[in-house]
Amino acid sequence: MSAGMDAVSVKDLTKKYGSKVALSSITFGVEGGTFFGCFGPNGAGKSTLLRILTGQIQQTSGEAKVLGLDCRTQGVEIKRLVGIVPEVESPPSYLTASEFLEFAGKVRGIDDLDKKVKRWLDFFELQEAHGTLCRDLSKGMRQKVMLAAAFIHEPKLLFLDEPFINLDPIYQRKLREYLTELRDEGRTIFLNSHILEIAQRLCQEVIILDKGKVLTRENMSDMARRGEDLEGLFMRLVGGNHAGPP
Amino acid sequence: MPGLLNLMLREEYRLHVSYSSSRVFFSLPLYVLLIAFFLGATLNTLQPSINLNEMLLFVNGGVFVYGMGVGAFGFLGQTYLERRTGRANFLVAMPFLLPFSFRKAFASLYLRDIIFYTLLIIIPGMGGVMIASLVAHFRLTSILLATLAVFLSFLLGMSFSFMASVAYMHSVKLFGVVIGGFMVLLGGYGFLHLYPLANVLPPLLFQYSVPPFGTDIASAALWLVVSVVVVVGFSMAAILGVIAEPLTAATSVKDRYLNYHQRMAWARSYRSLLAKDILDMRRSGAVSKMLLAYVAPLVFLGFTTWYVNHGLRIPVGFNTVFYAAMVGSFGVMFYSWLTNLDSVDYYETLPVNVPQLIRTKLITFFVLTSIISTAFVLAITLANGEDRFLWVALPVLYITSAYSVISTAYLTGLSPNSVLFSPGILSRFAIISILPDLCITILSFSLDSTPLIAAAGIGLVCFALLTTTLIFYRSLDKKWCSTGFT
Repeated sequence: MSAGMDAVSVKDLTKKYGSKVALSSITFGVEGGTFFGCFGPNGAGKSTLLRILTGQIQQTSGEAKVLGLDCRTQGVEIKRLVGIVPEVESPPSYLTASEFLEFAGKVRGIDDLDKKVKRWLDFFELQEAHGTLCRDLSKGMRQKVMLAAAFIHEPKLLFLDEPFINLDPIYQRKLREYLTELRDEGRTIFLNSHILEIAQRLCQEVIILDKGKVLTRENMSDMARRGEDLEGLFMRLVGGNHAGPP
Repeated sequence: MPGLLNLMLREEYRLHVSYSSSRVFFSLPLYVLLIAFFLGATLNTLQPSINLNEMLLFVNGGVFVYGMGVGAFGFLGQTYLERRTGRANFLVAMPFLLPFSFRKAFASLYLRDIIFYTLLIIIPGMGGVMIASLVAHFRLTSILLATLAVFLSFLLGMSFSFMASVAYMHSVKLFGVVIGGFMVLLGGYGFLHLYPLANVLPPLLFQYSVPPFGTDIASAALWLVVSVVVVVGFSMAAILGVIAEPLTAATSVKDRYLNYHQRMAWARSYRSLLAKDILDMRRSGAVSKMLLAYVAPLVFLGFTTWYVNHGLRIPVGFNTVFYAAMVGSFGVMFYSWLTNLDSVDYYETLPVNVPQLIRTKLITFFVLTSIISTAFVLAITLANGEDRFLWVALPVLYITSAYSVISTAYLTGLSPNSVLFSPGILSRFAIISILPDLCITILSFSLDSTPLIAAAGIGLVCFALLTTTLIFYRSLDKKWCSTGFT
C-alpha cells in the first residue's frame, strides 16, 4: 500500500441493530501510511466500525473498503492482509501462548514461523508463561498474546481496538514505541482508544464519533498549530453532550 | 433469589430470541402441544401393540434421560464461567463481581431451567393430551396425575445429572462413585433381577399407584414423597457442592500444536484448524465427556430394544441394519457438543470463515466417532449372529452419520443447541432426521424374508441420502459465509 492511496474508504456507511442505529451514514477515508485514530464516548460506534472494516460483521447499507477489498464480501481476504486486535482479549482456552501463535501463523501460511513465534514471545516476554494454557493466563498476558498474534505476519495495515487495555505501564510504553516504529516505516494503523494521552503522541489524523456520526476529522499537526490537544477537542465536541449532573 | 431468578429467565429468553425472534420462540410450545395432541389422539390405536403400562414406562424413562441432558449444570455452568471474558457473559458468572454466592447463582440457574422447560414443554405437552382427550376420552385426573409423574421423572433426571456434574467439578473419582452407584442400581434390575425397572424410577411407582392403574392412596403418597425427597436431596447435594473453579491446579502442558499439525497433513487445507480442534478437545477433557455422551445413548438404545424384544416379548425385528441407522442419527448430539467447546471470538481476527470452521467440526466428528460407531455395529452384529447383514449395515451407518451431521450443520451452523429451539428449524430437522430412519427401519425388517427387495430399497434410500448430503455440504458456503463467529 503506497502512501497517497486510500487504505480504508468508507462511504455512506450505516449499521443498524434492529431499530438501534449504531452508525449513521458516515463517510471518510484513511490514506496509506497514516496512523489514524478513531475516538468517541462509549457506544459511539467505534467498535462496530472496526468490526465492519475487518469483515467481522456486515453493514446495513453503504460501502466500506479496506486495501481496495469489499468488506462485505471479502472479509477473509482482508483478514489475511491485516492484523486485528479485538476489544475483548479471548485467545483459545486450551492452547498455550506459543501454540496460539503457531496456530495463527499456520492459518496465515507464514514462512519461517519458528523464528517469528520466538520473536514475539520474546518481545512480550511470553516465554515466562511457557506451558500455561491461555485460560490460566492473566488478562494482561492474554492481551499480549492477542497483540503478538496480530503482529506475527507483519501486516501493512493494523486495526487495534483498545490495544493498551490491561497492559502494565512498561508494556504500554513498549507497545507505543513499537507502534511509533511502524508509523515511521509507513505502515497504516487504525486505532480505537479511550487513552487520549497515548493517542495524542501516536496519531496523525483522527475522527471523533458520537451517536454513530462523525463529529469531526482533524489533522494532528493542524491541531497543534491551533494549540489544541486531543483531550481538549474531545471534551469540546463530546463533553457537553454527555456531561452528567454537577 | 427471586430477583436473580427473574433476571436469569429474561436472560435465557433474550438469548433464545436473539437466535430467531420472539414469534418463533413462542411457537415452540404450540409445536409441542400439536405433537402431544397427535400422539394422544392416536394412543388408542397403539394399544394392541403396546399397553399403557409399558407406554408410560417409556415416556417416564425417556423424560428422565432428557432431564439428565438438561441438568448437567456442573459442566454447562463451568463453560459459562470460563466465557466471562468473551463477548458472551452470563448472570451465573456475576458472583465473581457482585456480593452473592455461586451456590445462589447455580440454584437460580437450576430453577430457571425447571421453569423454562416446564412452561415450554411439559405444560404444553399436557395441554395437547388434554385436547386429545376430546377424541380419545382420557380422564382429566389421569392426565394431571400422569403429568405430575412425568414432571417428577424430569426433575429426577435433571437433579441427578446436576449432582453428577458437580461431583465431576470436584474430582473424576467422585463422579465415578455417583455414576457407579447408578449403574449398580440398574444392574440390580438388569442382571440380578432383584426388582422391576419401575423401582429405579420412583415417579413411575407413583404413576402405577394412581388411576387409571389403581387407587392405592397410601402407596401413591409414599412414592410421591420418595420422589420429592430424592429430587430435593440430589438438588441440595448439587447446590451445596457447587464450586466456582474446578479443584484442579493450573496445568502445565507441553507445546504440541505443531506435532498435531504434522499428523493432520491428510486434512490438507483444514489441517491447521483440525489440529487445533483435536488438541483443544484432548486438553479440555471434552473427548471423554463427548464419547460418554455418544456411548450412553448407544447403550440406552441397545437396552431399550433388548427390553422390547426380550423383556416385553414383543417380537419386533430389530436387526443390525436398524442399529446402524440409529447410531448414525445419534451423531447430531456429538456435533452439538463439538460446537459448544470454547468461545470462538478469536476466529474473528484470523482469515477463516464460518463454513470453514463448520467443515473442520465435521471432520473432527468423523475422526472421533468412526471407530466407536463401527465397533458398536460390529459388536451388535456379532452378538446377534447377523454377519450376513454387515455389508448393508456398515454403508447405512456411514451414510446416515454423514447425512444426520451434515444436515444438522447446514441447518444450525455453529449453534445447534440454540437454533434447534426454533420450531421452524426443529420441524425441518425432525422431518430430515426421522423420515430416512423410518424408511430404513421398515425396510430392514424384511431383510430376511425378501433380501433383494429390502436391500434394493435400502440402497435407494442411501443413494437419496448421499445425494442430499452432498447438496447440504456444498451449500454450507452459501448459507453461512456471511455469518460472523460472534
